[in-house]
Amino acid sequence: MNAIEIRDLSKSYGSITALDKLSLSVESNTVHGFLGPNGAGKTTTIKILMGLLRPNGGSVAILGRDALKGDPTVRSKVGYMPELPRFPSHLTGEELLDIYGRMYGLSQQRRREQIPELLEKVGLEARGKDKIGGYSKGMQQRFGIAQALLGDPQLLILDEPSLGLDPGGMVEVREMIRTIAQNDATVFMSSHLLHEAQQVCSRITIINHGRSLVTGTLEEIASQLQEPPTIRVEVESPTDKVTKAVRALSFAKDVSVADSRLDVTVDTQEDVRGEISRAVAKAGGTVLSTEVLGRSLEDTYLKLLRRSGR
Amino acid sequence: MDPSWWDGFSAMVRYEMLWNLRKKKFLGMLVLAIALVSLSLFLPFLLAGLTGQEPEPNPDYALSSVAGVGGLGFFLFGLVTVINSVSSEFEQGTITPLLSKPISRTTVFLGKLTGAFLTLVATYTVLMAYQVVGGILVHGPQNNLHLTPLFLLGMVVSTLVWVAIVLTLGSVSKNTTLTALATVGIFMGLGIVGGIFAMFTGEAWVLTYLPGGGASGFIAQDDGCPLAPSMVGPHILSVVSTGTDSVASNLVQYVSNPAAEVTFCTSGFEGPPKLLYEQPMSLVLLQSVAIAFTYILVFCLIAWFALKRAEVKG
Repeated sequence: MNAIEIRDLSKSYGSITALDKLSLSVESNTVHGFLGPNGAGKTTTIKILMGLLRPNGGSVAILGRDALKGDPTVRSKVGYMPELPRFPSHLTGEELLDIYGRMYGLSQQRRREQIPELLEKVGLEARGKDKIGGYSKGMQQRFGIAQALLGDPQLLILDEPSLGLDPGGMVEVREMIRTIAQNDATVFMSSHLLHEAQQVCSRITIINHGRSLVTGTLEEIASQLQEPPTIRVEVESPTDKVTKAVRALSFAKDVSVADSRLDVTVDTQEDVRGEISRAVAKAGGTVLSTEVLGRSLEDTYLKLLRRSGR
Repeated sequence: MDPSWWDGFSAMVRYEMLWNLRKKKFLGMLVLAIALVSLSLFLPFLLAGLTGQEPEPNPDYALSSVAGVGGLGFFLFGLVTVINSVSSEFEQGTITPLLSKPISRTTVFLGKLTGAFLTLVATYTVLMAYQVVGGILVHGPQNNLHLTPLFLLGMVVSTLVWVAIVLTLGSVSKNTTLTALATVGIFMGLGIVGGIFAMFTGEAWVLTYLPGGGASGFIAQDDGCPLAPSMVGPHILSVVSTGTDSVASNLVQYVSNPAAEVTFCTSGFEGPPKLLYEQPMSLVLLQSVAIAFTYILVFCLIAWFALKRAEVKG
């Protein structure tokens, strides 16, 4: 069973189409990144999942249950952190977690145990008795993560979890997400930080203009692009002989030279860095480093967006 | 196991009550009401002291007036109790985490309404207790104290009319400033325009069906209209109002004097007051209660529907 199953989801705001028959599956026990430029439809999709927006069409199932029927108990095993979350300023962190915990049906005993644990996990253990109105934006972001973890959700939906956090906080959040994923939970997170998604996500969906462009692991996505990879070879003082040797390789489609770098476009998806290195060495050159270009998430992401019309 | 309805509802009531009781404007309103009750208690004695006259104890003080909370008080308490309940949640974005929890929007609405009800019951209990104890201490033994709970309930019902109106405006507009301005506009519009309309047309009965003070009549010792209908004296036993603000006083009036007839006269603005119509006290009470509950029900239904259909954008 997939944790999230979205089929042909559509949403318009007047004449603006936010989601255009978006389909998406999030496998259970994965960390699934949801990437796209501003206005791509990420937050709209997440808000529909959480029952905050009504779609114009399509279907949404969360943990096997129809999420569009208006049954709030669908959300009983789901933790959600909104983008830049805001909480009632007059309540203390502990009070609000206690109230939210009751809404999840947690017993008093469980709330007493879990609330201090969660506050400690997000580094707010010393501020639990303070009113949330006195929290900084970063602290509210951390609190947002704590309240999303109440009741040990099976599915955690995070909308830009690192937004507003300092670099240390970002690292902690990524560690937290990895730990959650190890405990048989599914994480579905939107992010504009590509390196963050690359570091923590096992699968990725990229959307633009409300449509899913691609879903899969990073490698799958790169191979789906079916563009010949380029291998950058750093050679110590490359000679014409070295260049000719590389050009002579059967898989080499094009070789461009700039300073000490040789960018070799190849017509195979296989890893041929070893063969190139051997050819360079045979021609008397010394390989300093090799790197496959066009396989970073950033490159893939930008190529996909260009293809989709941005 | 899914959480029970009661879990969500009780959590929502707590959420709302903590918010209400910690609002500065609510606490300010409570302090103001206590100050007004204090003034009503002690001012007659101060004035008597200044003029050298012996003050007259009033055995009906505790329930003869809602010293701190009249029509304006009901309106203001209704406004400050729920002004932030819905519109502020949308404006500040706190509605997003709230509505993502496993509770229905109906439960959220009922929790907010119950929170407002309990807040008002608690507030009016404090005020009534102060008024009753103060009345006993200052004026001596008080009449009809057994009717205090009924009086309290009536005050809450009157305030709930305004609560329902504010909740409706807040749920529809999702804008606190607009809600406050519209509510004040309705209150003033009904008070001023309705009053002028009734005065010049003689159709005071219209006010009976509007939220607010209603039409003024009186229970008199004999037939006919007095020259000064607002003054209680040998001719007039007590003044009675028909509007939704008068549920508490009408309840007490009816229990004290169930067979009374209420006389409604013209204002006397254009010549001597003339008899308009007469109604039994039971009908006056029934009308004020029924109209108050109708407003509460209708506006709450609109507010609930607006919240249920609201989309959380932004």
